[in-house]
Amino acid sequence: MLTRLAGGHIVDPANGRDGVGDVWFRDGRLVAPPENGRPDETYDVAGMIVMAGAIDIHSHIAGSNENLGRLLLPEQRYAAFEHAGHVTTAKGAWTTAETGRLYAAMGFTTVVEPAVLPEHALHAHLELADIPIIDKATLTVLGNDDFLLNLLRRREGGEAVRDYIAWTLATSRALGIKVINAGGAAAFKDNVRSFSLDDVVPEYGISSRAIFKALQKAVHELRLPHPLHLHCNNLGIPGNVETALATIQAAEGLPLHLAHLQFYGYGKEGPRGFSSAAARLADAVNAAKHLTIDVGQVMFGQTVTISADVLRQFNARNGARPKKWIILDGDSNGAGIVPYAYRANDFYNAVQWAAGLELFLLINDPWRVFFTTDHPNGAPFTAYPDILALLLDRSLRAEWMTKLPKEAIEVTTLPSIGREYTLNEIAIMTRAAPARLLGLRDRGHLAAGAIADIAVYAPFKDKAAMFRNAAFVFKSGELVVRNGNVLHQPFGRTLNVHPARGRAIERRMRDYYENRYGLSPDFMTVADLAIGRPDPFETVPCLS
Amino acid sequence: MAGAWIRDKPATLEAATKEAAKLLQASRMPLIAGLGTDVAGARAAIALAQQIGAVIDHMHSAALLRDLDVMRESGMMITTPNEARLRGDLLLLVGAGLVETWPEISARLFEKSSVLNSRRIVWLCPSNGNTEAHSDIETIGNNPRNLPVMLAALRARCAGHAVRNDTPDLRKIDALASELPQARFGVAVWSAAENDALTIEMLCGLVKDLNATTRFSGLPLAPGNDAAAVQQVSGWMTGFPVRTGFGRGDPEHDPWRFDGVRLVDTGEADCALWISAYHPMAPPWKREVPIIALTNGLDCFDRPPAVAISVGQPGTDHDSVEYLAATGTLAFSRVTSRANVMSVADAIGGIAATLPVPSPC
Repeated sequence: MLTRLAGGHIVDPANGRDGVGDVWFRDGRLVAPPENGRPDETYDVAGMIVMAGAIDIHSHIAGSNENLGRLLLPEQRYAAFEHAGHVTTAKGAWTTAETGRLYAAMGFTTVVEPAVLPEHALHAHLELADIPIIDKATLTVLGNDDFLLNLLRRREGGEAVRDYIAWTLATSRALGIKVINAGGAAAFKDNVRSFSLDDVVPEYGISSRAIFKALQKAVHELRLPHPLHLHCNNLGIPGNVETALATIQAAEGLPLHLAHLQFYGYGKEGPRGFSSAAARLADAVNAAKHLTIDVGQVMFGQTVTISADVLRQFNARNGARPKKWIILDGDSNGAGIVPYAYRANDFYNAVQWAAGLELFLLINDPWRVFFTTDHPNGAPFTAYPDILALLLDRSLRAEWMTKLPKEAIEVTTLPSIGREYTLNEIAIMTRAAPARLLGLRDRGHLAAGAIADIAVYAPFKDKAAMFRNAAFVFKSGELVVRNGNVLHQPFGRTLNVHPARGRAIERRMRDYYENRYGLSPDFMTVADLAIGRPDPFETVPCLS
Repeated sequence: MAGAWIRDKPATLEAATKEAAKLLQASRMPLIAGLGTDVAGARAAIALAQQIGAVIDHMHSAALLRDLDVMRESGMMITTPNEARLRGDLLLLVGAGLVETWPEISARLFEKSSVLNSRRIVWLCPSNGNTEAHSDIETIGNNPRNLPVMLAALRARCAGHAVRNDTPDLRKIDALASELPQARFGVAVWSAAENDALTIEMLCGLVKDLNATTRFSGLPLAPGNDAAAVQQVSGWMTGFPVRTGFGRGDPEHDPWRFDGVRLVDTGEADCALWISAYHPMAPPWKREVPIIALTNGLDCFDRPPAVAISVGQPGTDHDSVEYLAATGTLAFSRVTSRANVMSVADAIGGIAATLPVPSPC
């Protein structure tokens, strides 16, 4: 079937389009406007904004840790009914089915779950398989695992690390590798209570810096499309901007993605010894062209922080709102689940909110700054439309700032920033750039050949309302959302990479698991047959 | 053994499926209970519950909810069986039921670790016979009724508080209280099958206290019949654990209201789909309601169920994803030659497809 979206304002930065035109697609793919072609159906989208489906590179939507969060917080779900008709909290996004529906309603068609522990990969993929409409991908977490730390301790060459990464990706069916407070979770098992870039993991004698650099290099050499995805040390701590700046220095020109940078944008200035250092961080990012970052914007309201940075979560446990928390020492990383309510009248939370917006607005290249809340850690993903509105409208930001503690805003640069994002920049940040960062050549744009993942927004004065309920969303050419209502729930696929690896690694991993755990490593393998849906995976090619 | 019955008469699978759908369709308050099944069976059962407005409950909900009550009231520090095995230099085993809940516990936890030089094991109030083969395990107390007060005393002594002089085994508890903070990575192990929620809460509080100065964690053992996997599936599909109902459309969770045995015995539930794929087993309730049984054969029933469809054992008769006690994760097992049996997911899929209401998934 040939479909034409007629007369919309096409915003497709990857192909340099920003003006009125048509979009054509057939059998799930975009096509060039056919000569004398008659569409089988036409949607009149005149006056509306047409973009590719949005791509979220970092949102904790599935897996054993998220599910522990659900079990820890049954009351979150009930609280959702207090916000009838306006779902802005984690409460409404709590099941796999709702996750897919809510993302689709906003025009998102691909989402990356960024923290899957290798031993729980099957669990994560089972949850992802139950998330309707959107396509998915995972990043597997390494960097606190005994096998890797031993390779580094023994100074085994890069080939061993590359083979191990390739084996892990194949076993866990992931699109890339993430490292979370490299070495911190391992050190915490030895009763270490703080862990920075040059601290050394007891018993292994390896620094956090050495771990992340070994992984960064190996990921680069394996030609994985997505660079190493790094969650730095010292998340959330006053003065941690120094850690982030040192980490940026340490990247030494190789590609690196820094996750939820807002949580590292803190200085020690001001009357409370806590200030936004986002402006310094933005300068450093602007200068480091090999670097990409996502923001991890904070928004006010109840949420739950779910992180494999178990050391950080342990140290944050006494701030839990409500007062209950889970700390899990895992086989490698583990997890901490600490519910939290960001409050507009809280000095620290207001600084965090402003620091995130400063990063968005002061990093001048929209191809290198990515749109996230680190869902659900900074805010649930359902808060995205409100954040987009803040980026598009400086008067809205000014209005919000009048409601926040004055002394908090004074330790930020936010009031001095006049920049407003254009729709083209929004489309870069949420479509074109994520597709490029993840190596997804047929997503994030609207040229012929691309997957017909398309979001159409009706223009409203209230930009948040515009982005919350897309007028039309097409997933692989199928109309799935109309005026924010989900019409169909097809099931998408999960994207993964398969870099080549040496043969010896299979034997070596088998021996290692037998010796260390008295087990075969097969329990970690994510088989197609285990997923319970047909054709669950799609392979993304490595870089040539 | 493959087979299907309507009452006690052999029937074709098609006829039994149709009869099951008819009963569920006619029910004003259907219950899906037992849930002794794998991930695919749980997914199908919960999707069916959503489709027909049923309640879901597991045969081991009571144990699951005791652990969960503690977790969602005050939180928990937990670890994995592998970490307990590797790093646990002091294992604090608590109460009865550990071997019964996890028959491999001795092989997985009590043997020497590949990274530790030595391991100390202390068992508070074990079941009779549980420690016989392990002379190096120190036991304290033998009367499980004393366990709550012993744990309270242990936690108080660790915190430097005074306790009553008549506390059972006080001398040993004092010695243990001075030993626990010396552990490098201690692990407390318990089974909720044999401990009440307050005992578990006291133990979890002790673990948290110990982390002020050292590392200590907990290892709750999951009950059988794949309860832990069903709990996980319920979590992601409904946002809640088992004992969740769809009667009003959206899922609602209430451990008392959606207790399957209570629902049948009070007359609230008027039809039940009973699932026990691991063992032939009849439901525990007393009142009679039409039962659609997914288990193996009819022998376990005093009165024949309204409909019965034999199902195979997950992981033995057909491929399955189940909770693996050795790792605490969901894992896939591939069966090389599939037995000629239905899986729970197949059986429920058939029933769901026969219902006029479309399935949500």
